[in-house]
Amino acid sequence: MRKNWQLLCLTALCALLVLACGAWAGEKVLTVAYNEEPQTADGQMTTSCYMIPLNVYDRLLECATVGPGKSELVPGLAESWEISDDGKIYTFHIRKGVKFHSGEELTGKDVVYTFDRMLDPATKALNTDILDFVDGAAERMEGKADSTRGLELVDPYTVRITLKEPFVPFLSILASPQASILSEAFTRPLGDKYGLSPETTCGTGPFVLTEWVLNDHHTLAAFDDYWRGRSKLDRFVVKVVTDTETMRMLFESGEIDIFDCDFAISQIPYFLGHKAWKDQIVSGPRVGIYYFTFNQQIKPFDDVRVRKAFQMAVDRKKLLEKLYYDQGQLENGVMPAGLIHYNPGQTVIPYDPARAKALLAEAGYPDGVDLEIALIASASSQWQKMSEVVQAMVAPVGFRVTLVQMDEAAWYATRKEGKLPMYCQKWSADFNDPDNFFYTFFGSKGTVARSFNNISDEVFAALDRGRSELDFAKRGKLYADLEKTIVIDQAAWLPLFSLKHLYVTQPRVKTFVVPWNGWSDFSAYEMEVE
Amino acid sequence: MKKFILQRLIVSIPVLVGVTFLLFWLLNVVPGDPVALMMKEHISVDVVERVRQQMHLDDPAWVRYLRFLWGAVRGDLGESYKLKRPVADLILNAFPNTFLLAVAAALFAWIVGIPAGIVSAVRKYSLSDHFFMGFSLMGVSMPVFWSALLFQYLFAVKLGWLPVAGFNSWKCLVMPAVVLGWSSAGIVARLTRSSLLEVMRCDYIRTARAKGLLGVAVILRHGLKNAMLPVVTVMAIQVASLLAGAVITESVFNIPGVGRIAVGAIQARDMPLLQGAVLFETVLVIFGNLAADTLYAWLDPRIKFD
Repeated sequence: MRKNWQLLCLTALCALLVLACGAWAGEKVLTVAYNEEPQTADGQMTTSCYMIPLNVYDRLLECATVGPGKSELVPGLAESWEISDDGKIYTFHIRKGVKFHSGEELTGKDVVYTFDRMLDPATKALNTDILDFVDGAAERMEGKADSTRGLELVDPYTVRITLKEPFVPFLSILASPQASILSEAFTRPLGDKYGLSPETTCGTGPFVLTEWVLNDHHTLAAFDDYWRGRSKLDRFVVKVVTDTETMRMLFESGEIDIFDCDFAISQIPYFLGHKAWKDQIVSGPRVGIYYFTFNQQIKPFDDVRVRKAFQMAVDRKKLLEKLYYDQGQLENGVMPAGLIHYNPGQTVIPYDPARAKALLAEAGYPDGVDLEIALIASASSQWQKMSEVVQAMVAPVGFRVTLVQMDEAAWYATRKEGKLPMYCQKWSADFNDPDNFFYTFFGSKGTVARSFNNISDEVFAALDRGRSELDFAKRGKLYADLEKTIVIDQAAWLPLFSLKHLYVTQPRVKTFVVPWNGWSDFSAYEMEVE
Repeated sequence: MKKFILQRLIVSIPVLVGVTFLLFWLLNVVPGDPVALMMKEHISVDVVERVRQQMHLDDPAWVRYLRFLWGAVRGDLGESYKLKRPVADLILNAFPNTFLLAVAAALFAWIVGIPAGIVSAVRKYSLSDHFFMGFSLMGVSMPVFWSALLFQYLFAVKLGWLPVAGFNSWKCLVMPAVVLGWSSAGIVARLTRSSLLEVMRCDYIRTARAKGLLGVAVILRHGLKNAMLPVVTVMAIQVASLLAGAVITESVFNIPGVGRIAVGAIQARDMPLLQGAVLFETVLVIFGNLAADTLYAWLDPRIKFD
């Protein structure tokens, strides 16, 4: 009897092992690594880690990658739309027959609910600024209204959104992952528990969240009833790997299919020179920019001559060549290549140490001047390297730079107060519109919260005009002029370059589309593996 | 014995409160805003202010601390700022992974460390003694992140025998357990060696030999039994500290354990999660020490529970 039991247990164990090993056999699975744990699958509650929202949900419009670094707004859950002549009323016609993962059909009610939920103070959403322009948004956020005046359901498949004033980037913003559409029937009963597990997540997107092991991985399975057709992948697995060396070894041992070089810039020469991997590199331009800030509240950068001197003291070409292996192009403005209204004719910032020195002397610093660059301790070593090289580069001109290490929390808290000294960072487009760059850095609040403190009524007024200018050509001219004012006349920042985004892929990856904006988050819908 | 354990448990209550207070105070004096950190590059001052209010982060520090304590007393450790999930669930979900890793590392440490110590003591100054002591010295001296990388490169990338990282099969446990246990094995081996050498010089060992007992029986039955006293104490404390989270090992080998949760909480200024993790780890260390003291008294009847 005892022997029988042992035999039974052994057979069961073997069967389990076979099942475990063969469960995914024959399936087309793409496995990637990401360096951060997503906080939630709810796109309204996160400002980073958009891998889940981009794959589990759809938006009214999508910003499709149509070529290297090129994007186009295409219909998503909205089949078509109209904009009133005054640019204030947007009418969206919702696609019929679209199913949520829960099986119910999408209607305009879900769209109204999604945006109203974002503005509802009970949601504690982090992305409300994308709906700031909707009529009645402020009252809703302050808890003075139970619904949002500007969000209307005209009929089950028509939604009307009224803005309090024209806001040209609105369509582009609706294509960002923050504006992912939720199911009212599924989401409302869950309250603040929505998006915290596969059981509490539901979208209309190409993949269904089926498994989520915190700090380990999440698995997305193809949604059979997806309205654009089932994905060519059966599963898409995202492993959370915080250590970049481990990430590289996972790739080299074949445990992940795509290595995103953004997570470990220093690995680029290794892969470029590796005989097995150099032909497996996939790259594309990104709509993003690297930059140095000048805090005008902290001496010596209160003086425009010092800012101009610093601009001319940095050999940006050398930085690009030596630190980023020439994988990009120099930028001279606020708008990087690939952005709507990008101006390739922008005045070039010269590398001219002699003139920089003269300007510094003219500003009252003939013997040089001390300044600080703030760094996040233990963050990506690229900022450390960049700052060290710049420190050496500007020393002959007379800038005596001290590198100040801060922990991440202190760095962001100090920056929010407008008190962070100079720092180096990058920004990739959330949506394809100049407003995403100009207003972010040089709007009246952004310029303080990012420690630029470029307080300029001229710029603030022009930015407001840019948001509501409906004429495409006039808007382009406005931003080109504004770019000159900010970068050349006011020398409010030092633009460096836009970099290509490099990935290394396993030979089994047949199709991999580099996202237009250079994010490490992407939709895997069009990806293919052997 | 019951009285002894009860006394120790009562004494540990102020220790727990003290640890949480110290941590709360430290996190309040260093600059940092969890909401700004959540938003990072997408910061909006208006949103930060509104969400801070909604999360009661603008309440006075003592109010927030008392709220935490009151919740902890009722078994509610609050909700993580960043991960939006109940702290207790996050820790309890991660703990089995840390437990498995700690047990595997401890087993490796004992299975390798104790025999190595015995061989080194019995064959003092021999080649095997030098080998095992060199092995233990390497284990104690080599930082975990370094030995982890070497192991990953050799056994995963080059030889392909084991997975680089992860925690979804027994194979994933081998490298982290060895890397983490190596340092403990070194300590156990050295302690076993020195303790056994001391015991083997005692009179009762000479007596045992004089009455004609075999060498192995003398060492194992009479020598080792007495020599293990300090070793067992260290082993109990080691298990407690291993359970408290092997932060670096968990990070390098991508193990979703308590250590990684704690590090993530520090980086995100996630006060409830960090308080919960530290409270949990403090309890483990207190129990580990208590177990060591109890074992000590139980193994050596000369020691009284006073």
